[in-house]
Amino acid sequence: MSESFNAIPRHTPPISVSSTSTEVNRTGSWKYIQPAYHDRVAPCSAGCPTGVDIQGYMTLLREKRTAAAAELLLQENPMPAISGRVCNHPCESSCNRCEFDGSVAIHGVERMLGDRILEGRLPGSCRIRHAEHVAIVGSGPAGLACAYHLVRMGYHVEIYEQEQLPGGMLRIGIPEYRLPRAVLDRQIEFYQAMGIVFHTGCRAGEDVSWEHLATHYAAVFIASGAHVSRLLSLEGDQAGRLLLSGLDFLHRVNSGERPDLGRRVLVIGGGNTAMDCARTALRLGSEVTVVYRRTREEMPAIAEEIEDARREGVNFRFLLAPESIATLDSGLRLSCRKLKLGELDAQGRRRPLPTAEPPLELEAETVITAIGEDSELHMITADLDDVRRAVNTWSCERFARIFLGGDVAGDERTVASALGAGKRAAIGIDRHLRSHNGEHFPDELLEEMSIGRTGALSMARWMHSDPVRRVSPLNDVVRPEEINTASFAHEERHEDHHAEFSLSFAESNTGLSEAEALAEAMRCFQCGVCNECELCQIFCGENAITHDSVNGRFVIDLDHCKGCGVCTAECPRGAILMERLAGQD
Amino acid sequence: MRKVIVGNHAVSWGVKLARAEVIPAYPITPQTQIVEQLSEMCASGELDARFIKVESEHSAMAAAVGASATGARAFTATSSQGLALMHEMLHWASAARHPIVMADVNRALGPGWNIWTDQTDSLAQRDTGWVQLYCETNQEVLDTTIMAFRLAEQLDLPVMLVLDAFYLSHTSEPVDIPDQELVDGFLPKRQARYKLDVNEPHAFGALVRPDDYMEMRWQLHDSLRSVVDAYAGIEREWAQLTGRSYGAIEPYRCEDAELVLVTTGTITSTARHVIDERRERGEKLGLLKIKMFRPFPGELLREALNGIPRIAVIDRNLSAGHGGIFAEELRSALYLGDVAERPDLRGYIVGLGGRNVTPETINDIIDNALSTEPVQRPDIWVGVKA
Repeated sequence: MSESFNAIPRHTPPISVSSTSTEVNRTGSWKYIQPAYHDRVAPCSAGCPTGVDIQGYMTLLREKRTAAAAELLLQENPMPAISGRVCNHPCESSCNRCEFDGSVAIHGVERMLGDRILEGRLPGSCRIRHAEHVAIVGSGPAGLACAYHLVRMGYHVEIYEQEQLPGGMLRIGIPEYRLPRAVLDRQIEFYQAMGIVFHTGCRAGEDVSWEHLATHYAAVFIASGAHVSRLLSLEGDQAGRLLLSGLDFLHRVNSGERPDLGRRVLVIGGGNTAMDCARTALRLGSEVTVVYRRTREEMPAIAEEIEDARREGVNFRFLLAPESIATLDSGLRLSCRKLKLGELDAQGRRRPLPTAEPPLELEAETVITAIGEDSELHMITADLDDVRRAVNTWSCERFARIFLGGDVAGDERTVASALGAGKRAAIGIDRHLRSHNGEHFPDELLEEMSIGRTGALSMARWMHSDPVRRVSPLNDVVRPEEINTASFAHEERHEDHHAEFSLSFAESNTGLSEAEALAEAMRCFQCGVCNECELCQIFCGENAITHDSVNGRFVIDLDHCKGCGVCTAECPRGAILMERLAGQD
Repeated sequence: MRKVIVGNHAVSWGVKLARAEVIPAYPITPQTQIVEQLSEMCASGELDARFIKVESEHSAMAAAVGASATGARAFTATSSQGLALMHEMLHWASAARHPIVMADVNRALGPGWNIWTDQTDSLAQRDTGWVQLYCETNQEVLDTTIMAFRLAEQLDLPVMLVLDAFYLSHTSEPVDIPDQELVDGFLPKRQARYKLDVNEPHAFGALVRPDDYMEMRWQLHDSLRSVVDAYAGIEREWAQLTGRSYGAIEPYRCEDAELVLVTTGTITSTARHVIDERRERGEKLGLLKIKMFRPFPGELLREALNGIPRIAVIDRNLSAGHGGIFAEELRSALYLGDVAERPDLRGYIVGLGGRNVTPETINDIIDNALSTEPVQRPDIWVGVKA
């Protein structure tokens, strides 16, 4: 026993430390759920009707790979310089950064990239890889998008356009101060260089027969737009002769005319055409008042357009329904019933209801109506719904060769939606033609190519060139609560610059500088896609995550991952999901 | 370089010169200036360290333990309730043998809420296995901070350096700040004996059965007992470089003394002044400053106080229900000495919660200690209002 008093321990280490490696302890056997890296869909892409891989090109920009970023953008969006200017950018309202410190100024980044592309060299002619020729009716954004994607796939494409210059609504409907003609013209030059053939001044059904299109082309895409202004029937002017159609007015001004509208102009309507008419009339020197039957909240126009119109001096009169018009010596007198808002309608907007108050009378030299446009449906002989179904399900043999998209198909009337429709048609045409050549495309493919649930298709997916290894379904969109905002610092969003205030037709919004656009790319949360930030590796208590530098990804040692989920919780961008192991309920 | 700085910044300068690598910290008055200046030094790049803002002092010490486990040199600072909240992790730091250095700015524990100086916070941690070093001047604070890292890493023990709230922490004094090269030579980069290594994973801090637990504690205790000698050696080296040393204890004019005052911290300076005055008047009085509280330097104290008939221990702290802590510790240490020579040792409780301890207070204590009336109880409270 003597040694037990004040003996010096020789065999015990001074601290509790295992004598062997802990690798033998397979803590992975404890788990019932395990993490997996999922390259998921960012909400911006899901919100974009064109399905642009926004997170993807932001990542490339952050890595200073501007050319690669531009190429990725161009894979889905044929005209970023244009959409960066005129799109209502639903990507930004979907951005997970909204609640944090304001969405990423995606449109500004897109515009900067688009401008760099247009400033560059013209592209070479696309190589023809298919024997089939495709005809497209209409050279608006839907027709151009379809043609663009098809020539990139290797088809010979010809566009028929009734106007003298291509562009459709981009040219005749959008004022120059929002979309300078130089940008549009340069974009068209790019398309011509790629090999798209334009037949301008050539109206389908008149200058070229439908029979010719049906027999000389393997497929036809009809994207003829909506060019018929809805008629407003008023007491005292049933035929609408005293009223100026908004679209006609814009067409004239956009073609170079500068009509004298008189001192006072009334614009009836609350959509984008109404805003374009109001701001254009303002530039022609008139005092402009917009008359709308609901309130500002219900106006369908893009919020920035309404704000710009207000800032430039357009007056707004809400809750008024024009009922009669009369000619005076001094001009026109519009008599409007006063309205109030009632219950919600089917679209979730409050329905305007008449009041018993005496009518309000407004006087002006010119009254413009912009209450919506319709397509010239008579040009299409088939039942519209059947055609649309054929496009959307790929399955209707009767109309397999005829595709329809954009405003003419009743899509949401935005440039982004038209670009998405054109892409959808290009994929449908490619599938149709290749099916005829013996290839098989299962119906599930359509869902696999869908981004989010908005119906946009991924061209990257169709072309098997998706730079991101998306292993989960493409419609698995990262929700804001999946973002670990503790990993991000607040940084103020960069807003577009505006030239000194002037009411001219020159573009006043000068966008973002290249440095600002890069700073916006740095603000991107990169939702859903691992950017190798290492937080998972740092926080993994089991040291079970290692970096595979060859493939640029993290690998989980499942023998030692005990399924604690700290990686998922710490991942700033929702790129890691916990999955239940088979047989574990 | 000589600078006029407050005691808190003397700590920060010491930590900077010691090239601490990880500083997890949570602010608390009166120590906040320490970590505030360190965070600025980290932000400016003057100090290449990771500064971690944590959610509590418990986390601060836990993070320091984690950092130290990877082989990094870790530092933190706290006071009062913050130190109390760390209690669990203080045991962890010492038993896992992490050479963490921490500054504790002595502050009274609440309630009643009080931010002023009082040693009870640090003394309440006496059984956690930490070395405790109490400082008297800002120069001593800076020197002790640097030496603390040497001591800690030499023996794999955590070291707490302790300074009085406000009397040191917020009082400016001229301090000689040594050159970085000098400190680098004195305190090279830490070489950890045990550390986490992802390439060779081992389990740390796991279950230890009764077969081995005692042996581990024996080693901890043995290492702590060797601190007195190790510290003396480190001070000798520091003195060669800077000309300054302090000693685990410092006897002052104790030769032929009939009464020796025992003090710690800034009260020592006040007592030094009183002793000088009364020595002038021919009184045989001495002073003994205790710098090292853990390990308690019993042997040094028995030697220094050998043959002294009267001892008055001044405690700015309280073990409630027992008495002044230094007095009790000294009484216990002297019990091992010669029974026949046992002195008349009286413990005086002063200055709790930051109440001022003036030369008059010290004089009153001396007068009381010199009186031959027997004391009724072991702790004598000075200046308590009726």
